[in-house]
Amino acid sequence: MATNPLDRRYALLGAVLIAPTILIFSAVIIYPLVSAIYLSLFTIFTPTLRGQWVGLGNYAELMASNEFWRSLANTFIWTVFTLTLQIVLGIAVALMLHQNMVFRSLARSLILFPYFVSTVVAVLVWRWLFNDLYGILNYLALISGLLQRPLDWLGSMPNAMISIVLVGAWKYFPFVVIAVLARLQSIPDQLYEAAKMDGAGPIARFFDVTLPQLKEVLVVVILLRAIWDFKEFDLIYLLTGGGPVISTQTLPLMVYKEAFGLNDMGRASAIAVSMMLVMLVFMVLYLRSAGRSEREGAR
Amino acid sequence: MVTSTGPSRRIVLAGLGGAALAAPALTPASAQPVVLRWWSPQTAPAQREAYNFQIRTFQEANPGVTVNFEATSDEGYPAQMAAAFASGQVPNVVTHLPSFAVSQYWANNLLEPFNSVIDAIGPANFFEGANRIYEVAPGQFAGTGIGGSAANMMWLRQDLMREAGVTEVPRTWDQLRDACRRMQRGPVFGAPLPYARNSMTSLIFICFVHGAGGSIFTPDLQVNVENDAFRNALEFYKSMREFCPPGATNYSWGDSLTAFVSGATATGIYTGRVLANVATQNPRIASSVTCHMYPTISAATPHWTFNDFPSVMIPKGASNIEMTRRFAAHLFRADGYIRQLHAAPGHVLPVLRPIYESAEYQANPLIQANRPAVQLMSQAASAGHNLGWETTRHRPNVRAGQIVASHVFAEAVQRFVSNNEPIATVVSDVARRLEQLMRA
Repeated sequence: MATNPLDRRYALLGAVLIAPTILIFSAVIIYPLVSAIYLSLFTIFTPTLRGQWVGLGNYAELMASNEFWRSLANTFIWTVFTLTLQIVLGIAVALMLHQNMVFRSLARSLILFPYFVSTVVAVLVWRWLFNDLYGILNYLALISGLLQRPLDWLGSMPNAMISIVLVGAWKYFPFVVIAVLARLQSIPDQLYEAAKMDGAGPIARFFDVTLPQLKEVLVVVILLRAIWDFKEFDLIYLLTGGGPVISTQTLPLMVYKEAFGLNDMGRASAIAVSMMLVMLVFMVLYLRSAGRSEREGAR
Repeated sequence: MVTSTGPSRRIVLAGLGGAALAAPALTPASAQPVVLRWWSPQTAPAQREAYNFQIRTFQEANPGVTVNFEATSDEGYPAQMAAAFASGQVPNVVTHLPSFAVSQYWANNLLEPFNSVIDAIGPANFFEGANRIYEVAPGQFAGTGIGGSAANMMWLRQDLMREAGVTEVPRTWDQLRDACRRMQRGPVFGAPLPYARNSMTSLIFICFVHGAGGSIFTPDLQVNVENDAFRNALEFYKSMREFCPPGATNYSWGDSLTAFVSGATATGIYTGRVLANVATQNPRIASSVTCHMYPTISAATPHWTFNDFPSVMIPKGASNIEMTRRFAAHLFRADGYIRQLHAAPGHVLPVLRPIYESAEYQANPLIQANRPAVQLMSQAASAGHNLGWETTRHRPNVRAGQIVASHVFAEAVQRFVSNNEPIATVVSDVARRLEQLMRA
């Protein structure tokens, strides 16, 4: 403990300087977090926010609920498949845009379009593309003889899950492109020249030079996108509403249904807290990865 | 039965009192700038024009008052209303939500009493019984109807019927299936029934349960689904799947309407909005389109019309309450109200007898050209019910909104029709979930 008056003043100054950060952190992180946990211990009628204490009753009900486990499984299926597609597409397009090509700048700008367009607009466009009677996808499939009758893209399984995964990948792969392209531009040419001298072909150069160089950025991108995809709501809600039955209902959609459809904010909070615990795993991985990168960079 | 002849515009205006004239009795206007918020899920462009007119005339009559219109939706209003109530940022007036929303919010002490607004409009102007569904206690009203609707009317293409050799309008489910089978050819499907996880599927299925002679609840609100009527409704819904487009698994009101209006289906199931949409979007078929009551399981089973009783209510905590009441009454002033009704003729039907009988209302070209259809829908709507009030013998069900939002019926349809799950399992699950929802 500081006994010197100057030290005490510095300590006080330090506390004053850090106070805004702590206050903001408390307001935007701690308060909502504690509120969510607190609410999850009640049955609460959403419009009035009045309810009764049930302790861990909401969690016990969730653990016994098939709908919860099915929604959790759907969340993982959606996250894993759409993320995989985003990464594969993102790397492929980034490699393409890294080449010397005509209109490269224009192409780099246009590729970002899906990421910047509003989700509502994107979903409306895709719903028209998927439409059974007037959609271009069914039209092309019918006139080319691939299909005898229109395909039900959004209303039956597994089509509905495949459709949302594809649209999700289309919407978010530009984020991967941005990150990967930035890293590609900083890989030293000497590495490729050395690999060529060693007789490495294009595929070997990709796996032995490019991919290891992209590893750090990919770890961060995958973790960030995994967290964001895990809590995706609007795209899935607008495309399928969670249907058919609950085949594409993810946990965020279940939270929405419980909170506003069934007006049970307590149960919705319990689902949200459960989601948070799962996402915590992603966060821990992210923080460990970031810490490791910093340590390696410091060496 | 209502007639098409009636008093002149002057008499109508005098009879209704014109809210701007009647309402000042409530209280004088405030000198401070006042902003009112009006929510509605009915937001077609023509309706918005009518709303703008009503807003403009109200603002002119009440200097210093601004009314802002904000759109909600049939699927989204429960979330928006819940958030508004929870945050205390409630709109002043909410219109066109189903009557069971009014019951639910009133039951939770979330609405202002509506008696003074009804008094300003004139109780005698309403059709007899029009406000019964809003009378939450003897003499106490939680809201009022801004219109009526007949959501499950059957729309038929007479030209396709003739081509297919269908001579009579189907009265029973068997006849409907037969007609659809014969009319379905080439790119034309038989019907645009929804099989999605949404409120339309739930509401249409409720119609079918009643069309099978059943009900979801007993008059004293006990769950009443483990019976032949409920199972027959499911079987009928499944049997119609082959006559519906593949994408019907994702259909909501708009998709179903568009399918019929565009000519992709030979029959339709919707309100009178069909009339306006056919006239503007596909006039080629307008002369062939007719409106009928939707068939039931047998000729002996009476028709049942789903009327969501589009409502007007004032949330508790709304600011400037006296001005809000004045605005709610203003919505029924003849000039604006008729414009609103004409924005979608036959879709929202008048609840005020002088308006219905007025020459101005009847002068609309679409109403004139489709007088039998409009009369049929008016009769059907006036005898209509919904899940919040299944029959005249039923007690009001304040859980109806949550039951529809839970998708319990839509999921049952999907499980039985799309997933081919055993009917016994589906029905018992519905019964269990309804019990839970009623207990919650």
